[in-house]
Amino acid sequence: LKPSSALPSRVISLLALAALLLAAVGSLFLGRVNVSPADLIAGVISPHLNLAGLVVTELRLPRAILAILVGASLGLSGAVLQGLLRNPLAEPGLLGVSSGAALGAVISIYFGLAHTLPLATPLLGLMGAMGAGALTFAFGRGSTLTLILAGAAVSGLMGSFLAMALNFAPSPYAAYEMSIWMLGSLSERSWDHILLAAPFIGIGIVLLATMGRAIDALALGEAQALSLGIHLDRTRILALIGVGLSVGAATSVTGSIGFIGLVAPHLVRPFVGHQPSRTLLPSALLGAALLLVADIGTRVIPTSSELRLGVITSLIGAPFFFWLVVRLRKMAP
Amino acid sequence: MSMNLCTDLLLLQLVPKGRIASVTYIAHDGAQALFPGADAGVAINHGTSEDIVNQRPDLILAADFSSPTPTMAKTLAKQIGARVVEVKSADNFADIRKIVRQVGDEVGEPERAAALIAHMDGVLADLAAHPPKRQLRVVAWSGGSSVPGKDTLTNAIVTAAGAVNIAALPGRNYSTFGVEELLAADPEALLYGGARSGKPSLHSDEGQHRVVRQLYGARRVAYNEAPHSCGLPQSADAARDLRRALDALPERRPIR
Repeated sequence: LKPSSALPSRVISLLALAALLLAAVGSLFLGRVNVSPADLIAGVISPHLNLAGLVVTELRLPRAILAILVGASLGLSGAVLQGLLRNPLAEPGLLGVSSGAALGAVISIYFGLAHTLPLATPLLGLMGAMGAGALTFAFGRGSTLTLILAGAAVSGLMGSFLAMALNFAPSPYAAYEMSIWMLGSLSERSWDHILLAAPFIGIGIVLLATMGRAIDALALGEAQALSLGIHLDRTRILALIGVGLSVGAATSVTGSIGFIGLVAPHLVRPFVGHQPSRTLLPSALLGAALLLVADIGTRVIPTSSELRLGVITSLIGAPFFFWLVVRLRKMAP
Repeated sequence: MSMNLCTDLLLLQLVPKGRIASVTYIAHDGAQALFPGADAGVAINHGTSEDIVNQRPDLILAADFSSPTPTMAKTLAKQIGARVVEVKSADNFADIRKIVRQVGDEVGEPERAAALIAHMDGVLADLAAHPPKRQLRVVAWSGGSSVPGKDTLTNAIVTAAGAVNIAALPGRNYSTFGVEELLAADPEALLYGGARSGKPSLHSDEGQHRVVRQLYGARRVAYNEAPHSCGLPQSADAARDLRRALDALPERRPIR
């Protein structure tokens, strides 16, 4: 399973961590408002209310932390799902939780709940993700194939409800805002969003991080995994709950962000070898770094209206698909 | 018959209900906010060609921006003998005078139009004659999106109210105005459109960022969006209301 070119997993994780830290520092110092690093540091230290201090502590820091949490959720979920489903195209959206979260958030916008209850949008997004995950599990348990099919069916169902909400939007502005929300963004997110999402993301990440042994065994085939003592149904449930909690909570606060979950595991795999468990930590770290870099892009690329995070990740992710196809063709016998 | 929200709100003020074939289905919220009950019993249309054929109006009022009258609607209007009048959008009070006069003439109510313009000019003259003690720097910001800069009706309303719209200052180009830019610009008050047309909107959530709540919680002035998005005689009343609200705000120390 471990090719001779593979680097020790720890080295790759350290490299990914270095990239993540670099991106995190960049995220604190780069933004729409140009404040020098020295002023930012002085502002944070100063006990008085000041612009630089507020920009770092109330805007850029929570935004960077949220990017790390969301990116790590997406990267780790992608790595677990690609191992569990033994499918290189598996990504967190496959189980329907992302579209469930999007539907919950859109319902909140539709009924104007955000007006009466701050954070109603992410809260309903979270409930939507849980509901969609439960539906996928109810119909998909039994085998890997049925889980994928049930996920596709739930995604389709949520998508049709989303289309219906757009169709019957209470005002043209609401329809516009629903569409824009679904493009994903980290702007205007605050500590409130982190407090809401972090516990769910944390539990989800812990669950997913424990699945290394199971997905390594599954790489050999379901029968072999069973003979190695892996409880397949329990593994699938844990993966679904882990993805549902982490990606559901992430999507509910940021909107839909594609491709990070697909791309991150593929980027680390050539370096760590094809043992699925070895991709988990580097994928989480790289997913977080990628999302941070994409978020910096939304701030520094000069556009007349905000370039949405989901648009940047898709623009990077779509060519990646082509690269994946070319690579698979070369590897095919 | 009116096929646009702004012409709906003008028509409802200019002619008796009995002469109105229909207004658009979105007119109700705006009418309710400005002159409650004015649209009660008035038929509605959905801006479709079928509405034109069904309601057979003599005159069709439409906007000349964003949703140009479709060719099919124009052809049908011609076939049933209805005149189509396209009314420009208003970016300032001079534009409002022009379109109120235009619609008044088209519907045969020039005196009523003149009275509405006279009311508006009276309010504006009163505001100009009594400038505010403090000229506050403000911005119409409802969270995470574009803000009205120069050459907008909101800017004209803010200026008439005696305040300074920081999004319209020379050299400033805040087409998008995130929280960072908002803090850097450090306005003394936020004008807040809130739920547009009374309908749900994500703006109400994005404008609730905790740092904005902390710094501007008591310095947000809500306004009715109809006279800001449509050039109406009531746009002058919006300026008067804004003046009152800004005058009532306490002093504030800048963030520096």
